[in-house]
Amino acid sequence: MTLQSLLVANRGEIAARVLRACRELGIRGIAVHVAGDTAHLAAAAAVVEVPSYLDGAAIVAAAREAGAEAIHPGYGFLSENAGFARQVTDAGLVFVGPDTDVIELMGRKDRAREVAERAGVPVMPRYEPDAVPSDAFPVLVKAAAGGGGKGMHVVRRAEDLADAWATAAREAQAAFGDDTLLIERYVEGGRHVEVQVFGDRHGDVVHLFERDCSAQRRHQKVVEEAPAPHLDSAVRERILSAAVALSREVGYVGAGTVEFLVKGDEAFFLEMNTRLQVEHPVTEEVTRTDLVHWQLAVAAGEPLPMTQDDLTCRGHAIEVRVYAEDPYAGFLPQAGRVREAWWPVARVETVVEDGTTISSAFDPMLAKVVATGADRDEAIAAMVEALDETALFGVTTNVGFLRRLVDSAAFRAGDVDTGWLDTSAGDLLEAPTLPAEAVHGAAALLWPEAGDGWRVAGDAAPVVRPVVDETGERHDVTDALAPSGPATIDGVRAWVAVEGQPWVFERPDGTRRPRAVHAGDAEVTAPMPGTVISVEVAEGDRVHAGQRLGAVEAMKMELALTASHDGVVTHVSAVAGRQVKMGELLFHVEAQEDR
Amino acid sequence: MRELVSELRERTATARLGGSEKARDRHVARGKLLPRDRVDRLLDPGSPFLEIGALAAYDLYGDDPFAVPSAGIITGIGRVAGRECVIVANDATVKGGTYYPLTVKKHLRAQTIAAENRLPCLYLVDSGGAFLPMQDEVFPDREHFGRIFFHQAQMSAQGIPQVAAVMGSCTAGGAYVPAMSDETVIVREQGTIFLGGPPLVKAATGEVVTAEELGGGDVHAKVSGVVDHLAEDDDHALQLVRSIVDTFARPQTPSIDRREPLPPREDPDELYDVVPVDSRTPYDVREVISRIVDDSRLHEFKPLYGETLVCGFAHIDGWPVAILANNGILFSESALKGAHFIELANQRGIPLVFLQNITGFMVGREYESGGIAKDGAKLVTAVASSVVPKFTVVIGGSFGAGNYGMCGRAYDPRFLWMWPNAKISVMGGEQAASVLATVRGDFESPEAEEDFKAPIRDRYETQGSAYYSTARLWDDGIIDPVDTRRVLALGLSAAAHAPVPEPRFGVFRM
Repeated sequence: MTLQSLLVANRGEIAARVLRACRELGIRGIAVHVAGDTAHLAAAAAVVEVPSYLDGAAIVAAAREAGAEAIHPGYGFLSENAGFARQVTDAGLVFVGPDTDVIELMGRKDRAREVAERAGVPVMPRYEPDAVPSDAFPVLVKAAAGGGGKGMHVVRRAEDLADAWATAAREAQAAFGDDTLLIERYVEGGRHVEVQVFGDRHGDVVHLFERDCSAQRRHQKVVEEAPAPHLDSAVRERILSAAVALSREVGYVGAGTVEFLVKGDEAFFLEMNTRLQVEHPVTEEVTRTDLVHWQLAVAAGEPLPMTQDDLTCRGHAIEVRVYAEDPYAGFLPQAGRVREAWWPVARVETVVEDGTTISSAFDPMLAKVVATGADRDEAIAAMVEALDETALFGVTTNVGFLRRLVDSAAFRAGDVDTGWLDTSAGDLLEAPTLPAEAVHGAAALLWPEAGDGWRVAGDAAPVVRPVVDETGERHDVTDALAPSGPATIDGVRAWVAVEGQPWVFERPDGTRRPRAVHAGDAEVTAPMPGTVISVEVAEGDRVHAGQRLGAVEAMKMELALTASHDGVVTHVSAVAGRQVKMGELLFHVEAQEDR
Repeated sequence: MRELVSELRERTATARLGGSEKARDRHVARGKLLPRDRVDRLLDPGSPFLEIGALAAYDLYGDDPFAVPSAGIITGIGRVAGRECVIVANDATVKGGTYYPLTVKKHLRAQTIAAENRLPCLYLVDSGGAFLPMQDEVFPDREHFGRIFFHQAQMSAQGIPQVAAVMGSCTAGGAYVPAMSDETVIVREQGTIFLGGPPLVKAATGEVVTAEELGGGDVHAKVSGVVDHLAEDDDHALQLVRSIVDTFARPQTPSIDRREPLPPREDPDELYDVVPVDSRTPYDVREVISRIVDDSRLHEFKPLYGETLVCGFAHIDGWPVAILANNGILFSESALKGAHFIELANQRGIPLVFLQNITGFMVGREYESGGIAKDGAKLVTAVASSVVPKFTVVIGGSFGAGNYGMCGRAYDPRFLWMWPNAKISVMGGEQAASVLATVRGDFESPEAEEDFKAPIRDRYETQGSAYYSTARLWDDGIIDPVDTRRVLALGLSAAAHAPVPEPRFGVFRM
């Protein structure tokens, strides 16, 4: 059998990725979306609106309505939800993924551990909550039903265990509806290495080598690569065969990932993800495969397209995740409208283009950029080059941060462990300083038609192009140079990205100067002749700029009296009910010393 | 010629320094920008600045030729917020920015240029008012101080914007520059405007008051309403002026059709070599024209008739021009040809460019009886009646009636520039000495006659120099010959702002 039609129960780049595969394979691709979230629909043959990407019943109904034979869950949302998989199969549709009971089994960290142990896969030492040996610390408390780092806590001292336990239990209950926890040894400085596996309905299971995803921020992967750098060949052999053994043990069908924590020559099973991973492209690049094609073939009951012997790992691939977040403000998620999207000549998985609105309602991942090379150094060079060409003007992203990360000595050396970004990244997390190149580029953009400064019977005046940066600082540029990388202008402002980091400039504008000439008015006077109707502060009160001090009623209008700056009220002569003349002193606000 | 140009550049550079080093240091120490820095910052980046009268008052007041450099005021045309504007900036480092007679003349000249070409006026005010020791040459007459405000009112009435930034003192009469402007900026705790300063107030009423309390930015922006915008510093004030200019309506379509410019095929740098410095050495003026006009292309009119006046149509930086250039003394035919050509230019709405190198009209019985006077009059009538913009460059001699026929200062060219080798006088020094010697007659010896003539020749030599002329603003400046094309192009661009009326000529004596 071959699939004729497929519904993609997801959004964003992964929906577009699967729909693209459908088109390549001649399968009718059907997309779902919630109101207003439409960027991934372009490649769909049919579209159905659903109330939520988490509403399994509505998605199954949509698949029926649109005549889909199968449902691809993508990643996230319902992709590892056994209940959803059951709904799909109960409706007589094909679920692109493993069997429901396997999802359920592997979704439980406690039970997955048991399976791994049965399959002879090394697991992390586990402790009972009331019997953690004092020399076992640090330990990791994690939700049995969890994933994605939620409900995961590192505990370094015995006395902190109870608190961490309570917190993790609360988080697990909230996130997964199940507060079962387990405690394992915590290995510091380990690397996250995972094995891509694939099984079919004919009992065959292969691995497609490993990926290293150690560059993580609070358990969120940022950079992934294949193959894993500096991986001991014996360890590699061990985890590849362990992953296959584990998959065989459960009769795994479809794409799956077996995650390990590797340190030195030790490797411990972490968990198995029963879906296609975000980072699957790096595996595709080094194995020259298309894993979505494979998924659809397996879902159609076909055997795996390649045998283990046919599979080879050649070259090196790196993926970075572009997020709408501010790396220099605690990775705070960002939203907004993309004025202009600059994507590099590289493999880019995204649905973000010029004008796309980034909503804070969804995961802030905007794109994956994938670069390859004959070896790791080449792949890094290609990624650095790709990120130099990447910019999403109008929305704050982590592109500049990714560029610095990939280019860092630690990453280049392949020395990054899972804790590195959170603890040792150092100046990578400090906002970069404004590069001269950006200033010069903005000057060229904002003053494209500057003359030559000609003067009568004398030397030309220096051609000075003034630009003002985001902080309001003025730069007088004498050596403007058109930007070589991403840049744009809207007539008033110029955006220039240098090494992936975007900067905004504008021409000096006297009307936008901070109104210091208007502030500094310590005296608040009656704006019109009238009656004071309220006095809302007393002498000695601290007030902030714009704060209401009181009000005057005049000519049937209520006029608010506000502080022009932060400071302290040092004098109040306003008295409610009293008639005042225009210009009469009512309050005095002494500006704060430190401003 | 190269030596003359390097002398010109040196003198201009010295004048551009402004007042004494001490005065400049004091100015900067007050947080003020030097006036030329103000102009540079006001202009769009890299905007050319067609400065008018950079060497005004040169060697005119006192022993030091640079006693009052640039007459203490910087004037010219430059681009601000994409618009060509006339800028008038006082130089407070020169005698406190006070107005000498030439300062007044230069200010008025800049306003005339603004009015004729309909260019907005931006005044950067920093002046103590009239230079009191010379009040009789500054205050009372028609073309004196009061005329500045008359011009402002007249131009404002014609819709030519008047904007002032008060960046220093603005005392007495000077107070009217901002007050008469359409929109005004003042720099806080730096600019002051008052009719009478603190010393005068104390003398008059006994009131003791600081300059800032009397007429500072806060007073005028918040209380008196004399100004419209309060700036924090020079830079902010200049930005606000730029913002004001940005609110002006865009100029209408230029009154002159411009085409895509082409550079000259002949290298303009060769002008240094093709023009002999000695005005008595003849050369073909076409060598000059081909180094000024687009593609070195001249559509010559009547090339075989009246050959001492070369007439022809060409383009300069894309602007169409009708060029009249002397190629020898003027004869009747040359004058008739010139008059005809000027009529053509007026019919076609093409600006006129005069390249003056003229010793005069031909004299002698044959020519007088041939009516050279009435033919010369036809040329002068044509020049005087022209309605298209006229530009004059004195590239050699400018003597006698030739000056009239070739659009001297009296004939209201929009701009008149001199090359550094230019000479201007009613006749040559040698001729004047001979004429005066003949009138006096009766010398004891040839030596005595020579003793009589030498000082006359010297005086003509001095008074006929381009520097003597430019110091008195008989012209708009001495230019590097290589810049002629540039200067004309800027002048043409400015002139294109004003509409060209229907031509109408006076009676031609036939």
